Amino acid sequence: MSSASFNYIRAAELTDALARGERAGAAYLAGGTDLLPLWKASLTAPQEVIDISHLPLATITRSGDALTIGATARLSDIAAHPEVKAHYPLVCDGILASASGQVRNVATMGGNLLQRTRCPYFRDAGLACNKRDPGSGCGTRHGENRHAVLFGGSPGCVATHPSDLAVALAALDARIVVSSASGERELALSELYPLPGETTAPDSSLRPGEMITVIRMLNAARFANHATYLKIRDRASFEFAVVSVAAALRIADGAIAEARLAAGGVAPLPWRLEKSEAALIGRAPTEHAFAEAGALAIEGARPLEGNAFKIPLLRNAVIRALQTAGGQS
Amino acid sequence: MKNRTIARYEGTLKVTGQARYEGEMMPEGLLHAALVESPIACGELQSLDTSRAATLSGFATLVTHEDAASLKPSAATALIREKAIHFHGQPVALVAATTLSEAREAAKATQASIAARTALTQMGQALDQAYEPAMVGRFPASTRRGDSAKALSEAGLVVRRRYTTAVNNHHPMEPHAVVCWWEGNKVVVHTCTQAIFATRAIIAHAFEMPPVDIRVLSRYLGGGFGCKGQLWWPWMFWAMLASRKTNRPVRLELTRAQMFILVGRRQETAQDIALGFVDGRLTAIEHDVVAQTSTHAEFSDSTAVYTRFLYACPNVTTRHSLVRTNEPQPVPMRAPGTAPGTFALESAMDEAAELLGVDPLELRLDNFADRDQENGRPWSSNSLRECYRVGAERFGWAERRARSATKVGRWKIGFGMATTLYPAIRQACRARVALRADGSLLVQCGTQDMGSGTYTALGQIAADALGVPMDKITVELGDTELPDGPFSGGSQVTASIFPAVEAATAKLRAALASIATTDATSPLGGKPPEDLEFADGMIRSRSGNAGERLTDVLARAAADGLEAEGESPATDHQKLAATGMGYGAIFVEIGVDPELGEIRVRRVCGAFAAGHILNPLLAKSQYIGGLIGGIGMALHEQTATDAATGSILGKSFTDYLIPVHADMPAFDIAMIDEDDPHLPGGVKGIGMLGTAGIQAAIANAVYDAIGKRIRKLPIRIEDCL
Repeated sequence: MSSASFNYIRAAELTDALARGERAGAAYLAGGTDLLPLWKASLTAPQEVIDISHLPLATITRSGDALTIGATARLSDIAAHPEVKAHYPLVCDGILASASGQVRNVATMGGNLLQRTRCPYFRDAGLACNKRDPGSGCGTRHGENRHAVLFGGSPGCVATHPSDLAVALAALDARIVVSSASGERELALSELYPLPGETTAPDSSLRPGEMITVIRMLNAARFANHATYLKIRDRASFEFAVVSVAAALRIADGAIAEARLAAGGVAPLPWRLEKSEAALIGRAPTEHAFAEAGALAIEGARPLEGNAFKIPLLRNAVIRALQTAGGQS
Repeated sequence: MKNRTIARYEGTLKVTGQARYEGEMMPEGLLHAALVESPIACGELQSLDTSRAATLSGFATLVTHEDAASLKPSAATALIREKAIHFHGQPVALVAATTLSEAREAAKATQASIAARTALTQMGQALDQAYEPAMVGRFPASTRRGDSAKALSEAGLVVRRRYTTAVNNHHPMEPHAVVCWWEGNKVVVHTCTQAIFATRAIIAHAFEMPPVDIRVLSRYLGGGFGCKGQLWWPWMFWAMLASRKTNRPVRLELTRAQMFILVGRRQETAQDIALGFVDGRLTAIEHDVVAQTSTHAEFSDSTAVYTRFLYACPNVTTRHSLVRTNEPQPVPMRAPGTAPGTFALESAMDEAAELLGVDPLELRLDNFADRDQENGRPWSSNSLRECYRVGAERFGWAERRARSATKVGRWKIGFGMATTLYPAIRQACRARVALRADGSLLVQCGTQDMGSGTYTALGQIAADALGVPMDKITVELGDTELPDGPFSGGSQVTASIFPAVEAATAKLRAALASIATTDATSPLGGKPPEDLEFADGMIRSRSGNAGERLTDVLARAAADGLEAEGESPATDHQKLAATGMGYGAIFVEIGVDPELGEIRVRRVCGAFAAGHILNPLLAKSQYIGGLIGGIGMALHEQTATDAATGSILGKSFTDYLIPVHADMPAFDIAMIDEDDPHLPGGVKGIGMLGTAGIQAAIANAVYDAIGKRIRKLPIRIEDCL
């Protein structure tokens, strides 16, 4: 049997899946839109693949102020859900900016949050990458790094997180429920993504066998009238973000009461722009306020040789996203 | 000759999956092959450890340079006969096994020990080591007419700029594949190639076999664009050696990642252009090109060649030089030379128009070359000015001043235009036509259809010549058992097959006319042959109400049908009375978001003059396909090499961007039919025309929109911020 072979298990129920998931070499399979390409490129070689796609984890419910999305809900189903469209348009925007229609039809919420970086050094088993192969070094830092991070990088890793949806969810302070054979825990989405170390760069803080089962947003519908997801890319569709911004505002009595800003394509995780958010509070949604938020967004950016253009791009994207979100009724 | 739209001959076969591509052949006992790749970019293979691979299940054989030592030395066998490592990912062995996954597993388990040397992985590291090749294609590498240095020193305006273009890869949808087997001393090779007869000839040379013992088939191709040629041969040879070694059929198919490395690329260029003007007329052009080639082979595009032809100018100097790097070898890619070359020249013309304060279209008209000044010959035909006029009118170029830099939503609008050109040449060709007793017609020619419509064109030419309906036509091509046909490249196939098929059908018409007119029982008996026309499955008298079915004529005198062969020669460049060139004018409207750097092409109008158009539907598809490729080169495509390792980065369609449907602009294609008495049937090639010119048109439109002159391809977000 080939070393690329694996046992395929269609889990009968969640407890069965979680029990199997703890074993070494296990991998969960939902939509498979990332796992399969990784496996085909010899970047991952699971011994046991546990299919969870049919488990009853795909429900989308709105109850009071809370939106709950099951981890195996398909992206296209979430984006088409009437309650999501009406009250959480930012989630729909983030999804519809992702991938292609075909991919969205099979890709799931949980899988989207756990997709691995598109850094070409990670995606090529022959190149140095601490994320793929801890201790092997980082080819990107001094190589082709147009796509690399501005924030949150380390000497060991400058790879970005590729998800659009995660950026939108980060802006809405989403929380996730993580299950394992020993129980459940809940954490903020931002806690899912650790920053890289000197020689390691884990994708997530999930422990072996843990599975995202639920994504939850509390009271996020208050941003429904003033939210947008802006994605900048080299072609019009089917490309990961060069830079993206999720903006959500609550405007009351002509002033910004609350602001949420997260950026994609610039950090190892959805990068919340807290200084920009704070600067907007209490201000009228004017060009001046937006420009100030844009300028604050790029504070502390650490460019590499090939990605300094992302600094003005991020500033402009923040301003544009705020103009769009602030201009809505 | 008729001009008519006929749907694709093989369209139904393709959409219903009945068209068998060569890689789909699955003979009994087939072994699958995989390549062992070098992890370093420069060095020498010391040894291969196969001890583990050989124990794996399904392992059949391993083929290396030692096996290839039996092949005759040539440029086509050098890479597989020698131990030198020239580039990252260079195969050092081929493994064959029972299944594809077993072959890949065994290839992974094969350890290559390589003595590494310092690699030169980027052209920019060694510009000082540039050297001049002997030729660029069929053209001299350097030319000089008049004295450009003197003219530049005396010019009223000099525009002197550097333009650069990136490495591109061809990426046909169908990856290269071979399925081959030996029958005693004979070999059958099913493979994706744009040149079956050249492939047979190189096999004959390498294996020292008579060509008659070799059969090469390439009946359907899922695209080629120039990469299904000589760089594929070494790996195909290894598969053939594996088949001979095991006495079993062997199949090798490249992975998409290998398509970035093994079968060619459009070379990167750095081009220095100087244009000198006096009173708005070009008095001097200098065009110097530095481009990349590999350390194991030499190739230079004809990048500056078209600068010798396009404009009237008494003083023109062009030079090509090459830098060797430990990167993959370049080959021609669609619109070779003319795509990067016109990007530089037509961008510089736009810059000159701006500085001269004239409309870019006017400047081009003012500098129109009414003859081939490089060779001192007239054009066989040249409707470039008509292209400019028709294209400008349909596009609305006159509104440029009013429309440019206006905003539509977030997009700043820009207009740009440029010229495209490509030589009209032909190869030698033979074709056979056989009219059967039932009135059906078989047309045979050993050329290939890359997916561009050769089946249809071949059938259509024969159908029109003999008045046989298309549904009674069978076309066979892509098999060396057929008469020798042209390779599929250089926009030459239609122009090459036309005179050969005409010659063959003329013989059949004469034979049929003779049967009919010399037979007193025929309604056409006694009619002069020149009075006859062939249409609707009949021979008819033009002058009178008389006619007879082809089947009736055949039934009386040729019950087994009639057959004829025709042939036509290649263009004899030494004896040309006139230079054949196809032209086009490309007009584009783009939108640039100046804050976010995004660029989208909104509208493209291409007005083309390329002789007589046989089938407007196929021609339009070709032009649009070419323009899309040009948009990719202008805005998306770029193959990057990791400087530290020499590895190509991002070897997938996720990373190597090509335009997707959402990037498609509205296309308006105008075809200006030319009557060209110098060319058989007036046919010029069209395949390359759409892929050149548009790059400069887009760059010129970006300038028009936001006032930034981008002198590099691809133009990306960071260039427009």
